[in-house]
Amino acid sequence: MIISKLKATGFRNFASATLAPADGSNIFYGDNGSGKTNLLEAIFLLCLGRSHRGATDTIMVQDENPFYRVEGQIKTTDKNYEVAIAFQRDGRKKVQIDKVSAKLSELYDLFCAVAVGPEDSVIISGSPSARRMFLDIYLSQFRKLYLDDLTQYRKALSQRNAALKQGHDPSPFGTILAEIGARIILGRIQFLRELAISTSQFYGNISRGRSLMLRYEPSVPCDDDTDDLKLITERFLEKLDQVRIREQAVQTTLVGPHRDEIVFSIDNRPARSHGSQGEWRTAAIALKLAVYQMLREKRRMPPILLLDEIFAELDQHRVGGLIECFGQFGQLFLTTAVEPPAALSRDGRSFRIGENRIEGSQ
Amino acid sequence: MFKSAASIEKLANRLARLPGIGRKSATRLAFHILKLSREDACELADSIREVKDKVGFCSICNNISESDPCRICSDPQRKQDVICVVEETSDAAAMDKVEGFDGLFHILGGCLSPLDGIGPDDLKIMGLMTRLEKGVTEVIIATNPNVEGEATAVYLARLLRPLGIKVTRIARGLPVGSDLEYADSATLTRAMEGRQEY
Repeated sequence: MIISKLKATGFRNFASATLAPADGSNIFYGDNGSGKTNLLEAIFLLCLGRSHRGATDTIMVQDENPFYRVEGQIKTTDKNYEVAIAFQRDGRKKVQIDKVSAKLSELYDLFCAVAVGPEDSVIISGSPSARRMFLDIYLSQFRKLYLDDLTQYRKALSQRNAALKQGHDPSPFGTILAEIGARIILGRIQFLRELAISTSQFYGNISRGRSLMLRYEPSVPCDDDTDDLKLITERFLEKLDQVRIREQAVQTTLVGPHRDEIVFSIDNRPARSHGSQGEWRTAAIALKLAVYQMLREKRRMPPILLLDEIFAELDQHRVGGLIECFGQFGQLFLTTAVEPPAALSRDGRSFRIGENRIEGSQ
Repeated sequence: MFKSAASIEKLANRLARLPGIGRKSATRLAFHILKLSREDACELADSIREVKDKVGFCSICNNISESDPCRICSDPQRKQDVICVVEETSDAAAMDKVEGFDGLFHILGGCLSPLDGIGPDDLKIMGLMTRLEKGVTEVIIATNPNVEGEATAVYLARLLRPLGIKVTRIARGLPVGSDLEYADSATLTRAMEGRQEY
């Protein structure tokens, strides 16, 4: 997948900006606050119709502007698409593919993009809910049914918790919870099994031989290599039965995917408690690059890769190791506040971002 | 606006309480009623009163009815030993169109939903249990295929199975006459799971 043209109007700090990226590496450099990350956001928006850092549309509109519009050309393996995303302050949002109105979900079917940024460290260093959120967001991109199950699961969970609070029999909702929950657990087992291998490979390459392991720890006891949905459902129900009295006391459901954990360990020590900032950053980058690789295999085309300030907090060895990985990627966009490493600017196209404009784009 | 006619404001307020009617529509309806002939307006009032006076609930199946027992429960042609359990009256009306089903109905009056404060005691389950003593051989559970409907089905199945009665659940799958390409993936997956030998 390649973006060959991008135009952003009224978007963040850009009144109007055009970009003609190279097919390989594109480097955005400039001072803090010049809008490098905003440009990455515009690229992600063009591909998937939303911000990569969870910003709402209203926030992305330039202060004095009544609307934003981001348009461009995206080349996939089968054809060229003209895509435009526009949003008006009154709340209207429009997606056009080849000048025809389209739904946001159509973008997901056609394009894919992975963003790596400083905010990702929290996946490794933060609370278990940050890791579950990472899982849920990316697994949904691989399997549409996962998202359906997740919605149903949350509904069943709140009904069961309400039953526990009111002293009703929670078991009918427990049966439904186990049935849907088992599908979610199995989805996570299969996804993480594949992801774990390439995450450790990327980590080893970037850190020059150090090791990163990730292990899924579901609150329902089951093996990493199981594919047996029926067995997981049975275990789920058994576990619910075991914690019955405790659940009645605390009036909340104590077992299920909403209590799962993924344990990362760096050189056999738990990363969350023992890792350094640089190690967390490296681990988060390795994790996202592994997602990239899985998406590329599944979609049979390289996704767009957005790398936001990834060299910060990394030592020279790791920067070198990371740049060596770039050869495996398709089109990528990278921001840096400092002068880009020489090895990188040699093969890529550089753009200087300053005073709300882009230089070097022609 | 209604200061000159408080009764119009009262009518509009009453109409706005109906489902799907907002304040604007309620006002429009109130003025429309005002414009109606006296005869038409009274007919509307009378039919509302008649519905409240005449329509009640069947003491056997809990269906709405103008007679007790209802038309279905008192029909000797129907199979008396098969009961189809549904959530609402409208579900029974839909199921009654099913060809090949000529058993009886039982309306629960909702489904289990602790979030809304609805537990087993708030559903007409006791009435169902009493009916089972009269030689019922099969109970078909036709609650909705959503989280609450499924949990209600699980609850009923657990309650009924020990009594030695055949308990069945309606199938989930594709709507007849539809195209596969338009079906959502969740429905297709369930249809695939529930496939049968040809």
